[in-house]
Amino acid sequence: MKPVTSAAAELLRETTELYAGDHTALSMLEAYSCRLQEPLRVAVAGMAKAGKSTLLNAIIGEEIAATDAGECTKVVTWYRHGHVPKLTLHPVEGQPRELPIRRREGHLVLTLDGHRPEEVKHLVVDWPSPALKNLTLIDTPGLASLAESVSARSENSMAPDDAPSDADAIIYLMRHLHSSDVKFLEALQDPKRRFSGAVSSLVVLSRVDEIGAGRIESLVSAGRIADRYRQDKKLRRLSLGIIPVAGLLAQTARTLRQSEYVALAELAKVDRSARERTLLSTDIFLASKNPSTVNEEMRTCLVNRFGIFGIRLAVVLIQSGSNDATTLAQELARRSGLDELLDLLQGQFQARAAELKIRSVIMGVDQLLKDRPRPGAERVSPMLERLLSASHEPRELRLLMRLRSGAATLPREFAPEAEQLLGGSGTSVSKRLGLPEEAYQSEIEEAALAAVKRWRTLSEHPLSDRAVIDVCRTIVRTCEGIIEDLQSTADQR
Amino acid sequence: MANLVKLVEHGITMARAGDRDDLSRRLEQTRSRLMDPSVRVIVVGEFKQGKSQLINALVNAPVCPVDDDIATSVPTVVRHGSPASAAVLVAGSPGGETELKRVPIAMDELAAHVSEKGNPGNKRGFISAEVCLPRKILSGGLSLIDSPGVGGFNSVHSLTTLTALPTADAMLLVSDASQEYTEPEMRFLRQAMRVSPNVACVLTKTDLYPQWRRVLDLDREHLSEGRQELIPLFPVSSELRLHAARLEDQELNDESGFPQLIKHLRQEIVGNSERNQEKSVRQDLLSVIEQLRLSLKAELAALENPNGTPQLIADLELAKEKSGESRKRSARWQVVLNDGMSDLISDMEHDLRDRLRKIQREAEQAIDEGDPGKSWEQFTEWLEERCAEAIADTFVWTNERAQWLAAKVAEYFDQDEMALPALRVDETDDVMDPVEPMPVLDPGHVKPTQKILIGMRGSYGGLLMFGLLTGVLGMALINPISIGAGLLLGGKAYKEDMQGRLQRRQAEAKNLVRRQIDDVIFQVGKQLKDRLRLIQRSTRDHFTDVAEEHHRSLAESVTAAQKAATTFSSTRELRIKAIRTELERVNVLHRHASALTAPQMVTAKP
Repeated sequence: MKPVTSAAAELLRETTELYAGDHTALSMLEAYSCRLQEPLRVAVAGMAKAGKSTLLNAIIGEEIAATDAGECTKVVTWYRHGHVPKLTLHPVEGQPRELPIRRREGHLVLTLDGHRPEEVKHLVVDWPSPALKNLTLIDTPGLASLAESVSARSENSMAPDDAPSDADAIIYLMRHLHSSDVKFLEALQDPKRRFSGAVSSLVVLSRVDEIGAGRIESLVSAGRIADRYRQDKKLRRLSLGIIPVAGLLAQTARTLRQSEYVALAELAKVDRSARERTLLSTDIFLASKNPSTVNEEMRTCLVNRFGIFGIRLAVVLIQSGSNDATTLAQELARRSGLDELLDLLQGQFQARAAELKIRSVIMGVDQLLKDRPRPGAERVSPMLERLLSASHEPRELRLLMRLRSGAATLPREFAPEAEQLLGGSGTSVSKRLGLPEEAYQSEIEEAALAAVKRWRTLSEHPLSDRAVIDVCRTIVRTCEGIIEDLQSTADQR
Repeated sequence: MANLVKLVEHGITMARAGDRDDLSRRLEQTRSRLMDPSVRVIVVGEFKQGKSQLINALVNAPVCPVDDDIATSVPTVVRHGSPASAAVLVAGSPGGETELKRVPIAMDELAAHVSEKGNPGNKRGFISAEVCLPRKILSGGLSLIDSPGVGGFNSVHSLTTLTALPTADAMLLVSDASQEYTEPEMRFLRQAMRVSPNVACVLTKTDLYPQWRRVLDLDREHLSEGRQELIPLFPVSSELRLHAARLEDQELNDESGFPQLIKHLRQEIVGNSERNQEKSVRQDLLSVIEQLRLSLKAELAALENPNGTPQLIADLELAKEKSGESRKRSARWQVVLNDGMSDLISDMEHDLRDRLRKIQREAEQAIDEGDPGKSWEQFTEWLEERCAEAIADTFVWTNERAQWLAAKVAEYFDQDEMALPALRVDETDDVMDPVEPMPVLDPGHVKPTQKILIGMRGSYGGLLMFGLLTGVLGMALINPISIGAGLLLGGKAYKEDMQGRLQRRQAEAKNLVRRQIDDVIFQVGKQLKDRLRLIQRSTRDHFTDVAEEHHRSLAESVTAAQKAATTFSSTRELRIKAIRTELERVNVLHRHASALTAPQMVTAKP
């Protein structure tokens, strides 16, 4: 366990003692200490029909969350790891209840057991999936939905006014930058709240396979659009990164069946102009008899699971040498942008998981102290403050955001290095120092020392103003942390 | 159409023969309207829904630039014209009045002028672009307007679109089949319905989404929930239509769903406007004929029955007097119009003020809660958006009331089937323009030297004061106590100064907001008032003209009857004959005119 995590546990213990007898507070505190032990909670959010459930399925690698042409996620649903499948309903009032598990065509049927959606706080699905071991995913109803209460539930869960957010981090899906998107992302960073920027978000440009009428170049265009958004000052300020992902493709790639591969291979054999003709629209494809080996049932399945673009792409891939289902699945996953997303999840969220979780806990305790003041709180407060100042990663994240948004300024020649050192392109030591992955220990140490020296010089430069000095100090602290870690591992050896 | 023009021309010759230049002038206006029909259909929707591609597919030509990223930045009008040509409209010199300059450009340069790539955010400041194409679908006077896409209908863009709506004959709301209607879309639709009832919805990209039928059903449901079941909804696929054109494949074209949309455009939208046109032509003609006939008939009656002439003249005089009354300012309809308008204007002002005051209160509260210097940019944006929203509401509401008022006036005007004047006020999309942009607020950074100076100011006093005090006790001026006091007071001064600065910034921000809102009320109020006055004037002119004509016809009849009474019996027979033939001609025209529109009633069906 990292020292900060044990300090947080200590804080929780002290607070629990303080609130002895107060059941509401105690149950809250217990939830927080569970949260410290549990995997990182990542919410998948976005406007209605942005493809949240599809992406969630893709990350899990199984089609469990229901997806539909209409809006279908109506309540906040948690997906976490469990050895046996289990579905639990947490009502707003009353005890959680276990519900029977039913599946329809692979999807989980989420019944509310007679409850209206507004009476349900959230559903919890325990699922034996390896992908969920290090990550709890939270599926949320769409924002800017026609059913306003649905949107409100989502917002409340992720950016509540008076409590820490349920999620430690957020993957935000958008198809194009819509004003509702900006509004929501800004609400997360609202400067009025004490821990503004508490929830870190990663923006995913979703459903990119539908850009440009499903032409095969769509993914290239998507990359270009993502680039444009990366340059967008407003969005840079609000997120840690932007990646285009074709959710449907990713989901299918993770769950590709042999029968589907066979059908696609048949399709690839058809003469090109005839094939293009059948792939003009979904209706034509469904009604087509060419090739006759692919029956209607299979066609419906292909259209629903691949989309027109997916079929076009898969056929091209098969023709260019993806000779079996596994290779095809790999190729599809690579092109869908899922791998990149998982990398980024790993790099930005998982690597900082402990700190992100602690942050949520600190917020919760702070709020509790404010809402239910008790004599003796002065014993806990200093611990809280200490923990707040000791956890360096959140400060790094915040600074990274500020640097990207231009809220914190550095001399131009220093800015890229600062972002890199703060973990903007990856949090591993070598990535931070801009060294190759296989660099020697001594090289790393040398580079880190040089960085410390460089930034310290800048911070002590008489012409540096206050803001720059603050930035420099944080960075120096980061570099010192790296050196410390290096030395402690050396000592162990 | 040619048929109508001929009839109108016939009417003009007759009016001229009857020496009634006022009537012939009215018919000439009718003719010029007929010769240049224009049915403006504005295509709106959020970005990336396929608006430009829809227009391209409709005219079967790649006129509007299409891109995978946001494409259109300048509204583009596509209308009939041969040969094909393109032009951009540029505002005249900034100092002068809103004078538009047409700059012709080559067809293939259009993309460079109107797309987000060639002209990002319309930096080059074009008002609009125009494309003329020799296409059959456009020949009925149909012009399609491609509008830049809007991200979320609650922004300033939405206001622009709404204000442009009254000048359009119909609106096509475009949404793609990837998802059902969202809340902003429905809200926009509801508002737009209030401005222009002629709305149709288009569901695009049906080729791409297997579940488009589900989405179609869901959208229909949403429309009927909002009591908009009469709005037709057309599922189309622009890609299929363009493919069909390339392959000349009729079947594919049918499958694209475009034939229904085109049918709707032609029969309902163009047809409707043609029917309206025909109706107004018929009314103009009938009223002109009636007035021509009146004097002829009066003369004929006087000639045929000289004994009854005094009675006839007395009757006519009475009618003339009555119609004379409706010309006066004190006429009932005039009173209704004037009162209604001034009520409307004051209501509008109150409404606008009320809405903006609410925003102001909200803004002030927000300023009190934090340091406005830091987030001034976002704050201004928020304020602008909220103001636009409020103005849009007021605008929609005012428009509705103005139309209602015109109908009311027509009711009072003593004539059945009175044609409502065309309430068309162009150039309203700059309602927000004259408002100055929000000024910049000092972000509140204090330089380190300043901080030291502020601190020094306080500490100097403390040092001196305590130094002197402790000097009494025999200590030096600078001693530990006085230094301590100096530091303490210095810190306090610095804190107080920061507090003071924040308060000053807050006060200044509030001041700026107040001034901005005042500005908006002033400018927008003026614009809206001007609009209403324009409507008032055109309504009044229209009805005054009608009253004037009516009065003159009666006066002419009286003179004709009087003249007839004094005619010698020798010429009398001849005159009767001449009038009879003249009347016969008038009657023929009347028959033709009243035959208009009657057989062509097509029931509106989605």
